[in-house]
Amino acid sequence: MKKMIIVLTTVAILSGTTLAIAYSAFLPLIQHNQKVALERSLGALFQQGESPEFSEIETDGPTIYQARAEGQVIGYAVRVVTTGYGGEIRLLVGIGPDLERITGMEVVEHVETPGLGGKINESSFQEQFEGLQPQQDISYVKGGDTQAKENSIEAISGATISTDAVVSGINKTLDSALPALTGRAGKGGE
Amino acid sequence: MKNETLLSHFGKGLIQNNPVFVQVLGMCPTLAVTTSAVNGLAMGAATTFVLFFSAAIASLVNVIVPSQVRIPVYAVIIATFVTIADLILKAFFPPLSAALGPYVPLIVVNCMILGRIEAFATRNPILPSLADALGMGAGFTGALMVLGAIRELLGAGEIFGAVIFGSAYPPMLIMILPPGAFLVLGILMALFNHLQEKDIPILRKAG
Repeated sequence: MKKMIIVLTTVAILSGTTLAIAYSAFLPLIQHNQKVALERSLGALFQQGESPEFSEIETDGPTIYQARAEGQVIGYAVRVVTTGYGGEIRLLVGIGPDLERITGMEVVEHVETPGLGGKINESSFQEQFEGLQPQQDISYVKGGDTQAKENSIEAISGATISTDAVVSGINKTLDSALPALTGRAGKGGE
Repeated sequence: MKNETLLSHFGKGLIQNNPVFVQVLGMCPTLAVTTSAVNGLAMGAATTFVLFFSAAIASLVNVIVPSQVRIPVYAVIIATFVTIADLILKAFFPPLSAALGPYVPLIVVNCMILGRIEAFATRNPILPSLADALGMGAGFTGALMVLGAIRELLGAGEIFGAVIFGSAYPPMLIMILPPGAFLVLGILMALFNHLQEKDIPILRKAG
């Protein structure tokens, strides 16, 4: 009886110690990787030649990054978290400095089915968001003709749930992000 | 311990006693992550890492672990190495870590690991235990990689991300979806059993 307790406790303590050491050893690298991944996605949102610098803006709602290049605000990146078919989808939407135009969309993390919903991570899907209006809701059409509906993208065939998750997630997040930004955009010209 | 026997402990996991095709252990990762060859390879390598170190420790401490608490003790040991494997993947191979997602932490409940520890490592000295762990790990990795390669080839026309079939080949999406895992695994198992029936020495059934 006593032996059982001693052995289990010892094993648990040793295991906890090992993990604490391993975790603190790898943590800097892991955080570095996450930062690199985020910066790569942020950078892809804007097409300016100079690589912009990003700083987080304090808001009550979604996380927003302000992009600056050569002292000028060149736009904002809004973080969107939405639920797709396989789980959480994390993505970034880039908006121009005047809040009139979406400059890009990048998926940071997703667990959608490869080959179907996974196509949200392909540039052919993401490029459709460029030039859309952030001020009004984005919609999606099935089977091609995006001209038929204003401010729309073409849904991924066979992956309506993933498409809908991305589109509605962006709409919902922008609804709360834009009011927070409107005040700032006015000051953007200083 | 003679080298010959060490080699046979290693070898039996590869073919005769292959954890996937013969023992049918570890089906959850086998079916879930083998959507591409590289995913299968990474999952196999992570599992082998965990099995190797857990078997080493289990083989060393089994004399002092009372048998009533051996399962919790081994579960804690396995969980420790799984967490380390997960941290290593996150630190050095972030894309693989993202692709394997929740299946890395789930190595804890891979029955192949607890199975080998219970059936072999706790009953044998350290060297044979390590040979057994490496053999089983290699057999598991090989099986997952073959499964992943076939599914990736048929489902996406690629192997290890290199285009094989080109754009003329319409990918059979079903192969990288869950049904494809069952189809390919079933066919491979049938093939494996068929070959074992034949009297080829290396494929002969164990025991």
